[in-house]
Amino acid sequence: MAVAQEGASGGERQRPDRGPRWFVGEQTPLSTLTAVTGGAALAVLVAGSIAVLTIHGWTPSEQLAEGITSDAQRAVLMATIALGVLAAGLGMRFRRMPTRPSREASISGAVLGLQAIALAGLYLWFRAGDVETFARNFFEFQLVGEYLPRFARAALNTLILALSGEALGIALGLVLGVFVLSDRRVVRAPARAYINFFRGTPLLWQLSFFFFGIALGLRLNLGPFEVAILVLALNAGAYSAEIFRAGIQSIERSQFEAARSLGLSHFRALRLVILPQAIRRVIPPLTNEFVILIKDTSLVAVLGLTLSQQELMATGRDIFSQTFNATPFLISAAGYLAVTLPMIRFVTWLERRLRSGLTGIGA
Amino acid sequence: MNPDGSLARLEDVHKWFGADLYVLRAIDLAVAPGEVLVVIGPSGSGKSTLLRTINMLEEPTEGRVLFDGVDLTDIRTDLDRARAEIGIVFQQFNLFPHMTALRNITMALEKVLGLDRGEARERALENLRQVGLEERAGSYPGRLSGGQQQRVAIARALAMRPKLMLFDEVTSALDPELVKEVLDVMQRLATEGMTMVIVTHEMAFAREVGSRLLFMDHGRIVEEGRPREVFADPQQERTRQFLAQVL
Repeated sequence: MAVAQEGASGGERQRPDRGPRWFVGEQTPLSTLTAVTGGAALAVLVAGSIAVLTIHGWTPSEQLAEGITSDAQRAVLMATIALGVLAAGLGMRFRRMPTRPSREASISGAVLGLQAIALAGLYLWFRAGDVETFARNFFEFQLVGEYLPRFARAALNTLILALSGEALGIALGLVLGVFVLSDRRVVRAPARAYINFFRGTPLLWQLSFFFFGIALGLRLNLGPFEVAILVLALNAGAYSAEIFRAGIQSIERSQFEAARSLGLSHFRALRLVILPQAIRRVIPPLTNEFVILIKDTSLVAVLGLTLSQQELMATGRDIFSQTFNATPFLISAAGYLAVTLPMIRFVTWLERRLRSGLTGIGA
Repeated sequence: MNPDGSLARLEDVHKWFGADLYVLRAIDLAVAPGEVLVVIGPSGSGKSTLLRTINMLEEPTEGRVLFDGVDLTDIRTDLDRARAEIGIVFQQFNLFPHMTALRNITMALEKVLGLDRGEARERALENLRQVGLEERAGSYPGRLSGGQQQRVAIARALAMRPKLMLFDEVTSALDPELVKEVLDVMQRLATEGMTMVIVTHEMAFAREVGSRLLFMDHGRIVEEGRPREVFADPQQERTRQFLAQVL
């Protein structure tokens, strides 16, 4: 690759600093005040609320409800709104700012202020309701410690369901994705019918039909957990088939021609040239698909799993029916997020990496 | 070789794309061993399709394609075997982006010719040396300039030790300053006696290197002859018009 030569002409200079230090140096007193006030509004809301609630105690729920409705919490919210209004008001003058950094800081300060006002407003609305009942139902945090081992087991089961479903589904989807692109209708049509069926019916129906219908009706000696993995795989297979199809179609036809003109057979050209490139390209959408599958495992709860087989959703429901308390659902949600959030970030990272083309993959 | 002594031969070849795009009309053409056949013509004249018909990347709608005594249009023919003996280089290089330059070359040597890894590597390095890129063997195509990629593509085709080389506008996608390095490689190949069919817009190259020139228009071979003679004194009015525009 050609590298740009150092210019021999005069007037050379260092690349100017455009970092945080420069940004702060470009501020005016007013822009600084706006940004600090906006940040302070949010900080007061978060830190103040945590302090008030901690002083009153997070458990049991009566203490928490008392903290939420206390005068101290009210004072925190009022202070937040006052600071927020001030920041928003000061930020309205962003057009008068002399430099771009000071203008940006003014706008950001105003936006932070408005966000603090919105959150504090929601909180005010919430504490005007029946806080005690709500806290008793959703915020009974002593239950957490008691049932944590069951939730750990449940999280593991969710992962087992999702991972084995996805692994089998990808294998199935790769084959179906290739079939559906066949020039021969007799190969293409059944694969297309399969994909359309599994994409066109609800997963809940599929789980019920396979468990209560096929597995019991045919006396296949399969428990709900095994049926669940099977159905998740069949379902994921249909979706990943479409992903693989799109991935294969995104590879330029000329790659196939180049491979064939070297004397490779149709199958080998596919296996050695097309699929390796297609698979690199479909990793982000397949990971997205996996995130969806993780959430879809919650539907397995309808099959009546045994205690040791229960995943996050079934566990939350089970404990709810024992304790008549909805807090376990919050723990289920936390369990799902603990797995899905890192995956979502992974996809974003991967997509950026693929786009930059620095890795030699997908170029 | 074919019975008539040619290496490749098209007999009354017609090609339609879809129902009404008639791109090759009654083409008869024989390529003799050692010949450097240059094909020129306006865009859309069918020259690329003609070239791609020789290794059956385009199947003729009618007519026969013979290569080295084998009828490629016969459905019983093993096309993969014939294609392994016909090298082709494309306008867009078409290197495999997920493989290094070296692996681009060794892959078919191992999978098609059945060479073991060591032999394949040795032969690939030798061919990379020929095109002056031995030190870039480990580079991925995305890290090579257009000219370098095209030279790797030529090395990939040559490593198969083909009997015939096809070049499909191989310099058209290159920046002007990179054209020469690719043409130099082709010129050397020609002097070494390789049989070549070259579709090109490089008129000076066509005149210097070609042993025979073909002018195509609207799917027909309008004129053929020795390149210098055709350039100096075209016999057909259509050829004269075309040359007046490009020279």
